[in-house]
Amino acid sequence: MIGNHRRKVLVVGLDCVPPELLFRQYRDELPHVRDLMARGLWGELESCHPPITVPAWSCMMASQDPGQLGIYGFRNRADYSYDKLSIATGNAVKVERVWDLLSRADKKVVVVGVPGTYPPRPVNGVLVSCFLTPGIESQYTHPAGLREEIAGVVGEYMVDVKGFRTEDKDWLLRQIYEMTEKRLRVVRHFLRTKPWDFFMFVEMGTDRIHHGFWKFSDPGHRGYEPGNRHEQAIRDYYRYLDRELGELLAMIDQDTVVLVVSDHGAKKMDGGICINEWLWQNGYLTLHTPPARPTAMDKCAVDWSRTRAWSEGGYYARLFLNVKGREPQGVIEPRDYERVRDELAAKIAAIPDHQGRPLGTQVYTPQALYRATNNIAPDLLIYFGDLSWRSVGTLGTGAIHTFDNDTGPDDANHAQQGILILHDPAQPGGGREIKGMSLYDVAPTILHLLGQTPPPHMIGKSIV
Amino acid sequence: MNDRFAVDDQRGNHSMTHERGCTIWFTGLSGAGKSTITEQLVPLLKQRGCKVEVLDGDVVRTNLSKGLGFSKEDRDTNIRRIGFVCNLLTRNGVFAISAAISPYKAVRDENRALIKDFVEVYVKASLETCIKRDVKGLYKKALAGEIKEFTGISDPYEPPDNPEVICETEKETPQESARKIVRRLEELGYLVPAGNNGDGYSSQEEEVVKQRLTELGYL
Repeated sequence: MIGNHRRKVLVVGLDCVPPELLFRQYRDELPHVRDLMARGLWGELESCHPPITVPAWSCMMASQDPGQLGIYGFRNRADYSYDKLSIATGNAVKVERVWDLLSRADKKVVVVGVPGTYPPRPVNGVLVSCFLTPGIESQYTHPAGLREEIAGVVGEYMVDVKGFRTEDKDWLLRQIYEMTEKRLRVVRHFLRTKPWDFFMFVEMGTDRIHHGFWKFSDPGHRGYEPGNRHEQAIRDYYRYLDRELGELLAMIDQDTVVLVVSDHGAKKMDGGICINEWLWQNGYLTLHTPPARPTAMDKCAVDWSRTRAWSEGGYYARLFLNVKGREPQGVIEPRDYERVRDELAAKIAAIPDHQGRPLGTQVYTPQALYRATNNIAPDLLIYFGDLSWRSVGTLGTGAIHTFDNDTGPDDANHAQQGILILHDPAQPGGGREIKGMSLYDVAPTILHLLGQTPPPHMIGKSIV
Repeated sequence: MNDRFAVDDQRGNHSMTHERGCTIWFTGLSGAGKSTITEQLVPLLKQRGCKVEVLDGDVVRTNLSKGLGFSKEDRDTNIRRIGFVCNLLTRNGVFAISAAISPYKAVRDENRALIKDFVEVYVKASLETCIKRDVKGLYKKALAGEIKEFTGISDPYEPPDNPEVICETEKETPQESARKIVRRLEELGYLVPAGNNGDGYSSQEEEVVKQRLTELGYL
């Protein structure tokens, strides 16, 4: 079928969907997902390191790793100073992604909500930028006039939910549904009205509902209460999404290959490790004045001339060393860099849980993970408890372990394994499970399906 | 939306496509930056699904105009030939880019009259700057008298009176020049206006996004 110009590809992107929920726990209640799996190919999709929305979707669509892209997380060091972090918007993505390559190959594309697309760049078709869009008053579409067209379809389009860190779960749930419903209305409108060879959208509601509602449905979560009124919230949302998927599938023809993909998985969050507190208590980080109460790192008076390492919080930790000749007040001699880094990696990996049990923390150097380390990579990447514990950057907590997230309630963390389902009406897969797929395989697969040769710099390979 | 993009697709819906191309006619001294800007412009056009062909001055002279010299008559013949090809391409929906020096105003205007969808881009740089750049080493030879009839040195260059775009390459980067041309093509209706042509991300916008990312637990 290669070179068949009638063939089209529809990619349904679901941020943060884990195989445990889609393939196992909820599968029997999701008839359209189940049907695609039964007729197609499916399997776990290993994410990039770190398995974080930014950079994961760009890595997926460029088939390059975060080091090659020079994007290590939502914020990246803009230079070697201590406080200059820049948000990785679409401007940070310097390589071509699938829709760029297809645009140049004269294929029509529709791209909606794929992370890493604000500010929107021109494509051969239409593009609606992602949740990093500041707001709908920003110019978030290509072409410019599309913004008014969207307003005509849904009124006030939602790039994301607002006020996510809330205990008002009913309000959050309403927002998630409203956001998803509006996005899917736009998607259906484009399916009806725009010419396309490649159509991709990413729904963020799955990520938001996991973070906001995981503890209500997972009996293994420390915050779970049997019989709570949100126990079915995630399940119900998946069932809603499946019905929506059914509507989309009814709108496409037999020439369209459907992929359902996620950028990473999700798992319950057991707690947080206050990494800067640990660095402080262990003599790697020095403060002029100890904070009287829990204080964000950037609000603390750090004595950089006596600090060897510091870290950024988030779903995983990025640790930076204060190296002489590199950072403004660097103290680690370059010749000692590897020794100090190894020492820290070993000590951090050995941090136990709050009851003294091994945590199973993974510590990586960027050189071990990536084919290149463009821009400024962290010196270490740390997944506490294999991402069952998040990284907390706050100082002055008085303890290494915390169960109060510094940025508000959150029940879930990211996990390494996402999902992929591929259904090609022309070549049914018969429900075969494929092992060993990686996020980097998605772009070459799409290009292959559309008769294009993946460029040699792509590190994945087509699964079909 | 400009009517030139409004077509009905097979389902009878209103959609956008590139039905007409245009000729982007660069003119400027050797070393002014015509080829460099072209290199930046081509991917921007292709990204939007435009069909693009470049008729570079040097390439044309080794193929289409092989054997022609640099007398005024031969130069005019060369430019007319390029204009002829650009016209064929343009009327078939291609964005044809001519990147030859094309020093004489009269023959450029002939091509404008022939092609009609004609966007003249004056790539402006002072002779002193071009001599300093001297990427191909031609100015050195011309100043030494080794090349006769060299534009700007021993042959005149006539800048356009009313070009659609002026790229001042002593003041702007090739990327800025290319984006300037794209914006002009949008204004002239040859391209659908983009939401963004690679412009920046304001500090206020960044603060809004940072706040949201903090709420979402990513920071």
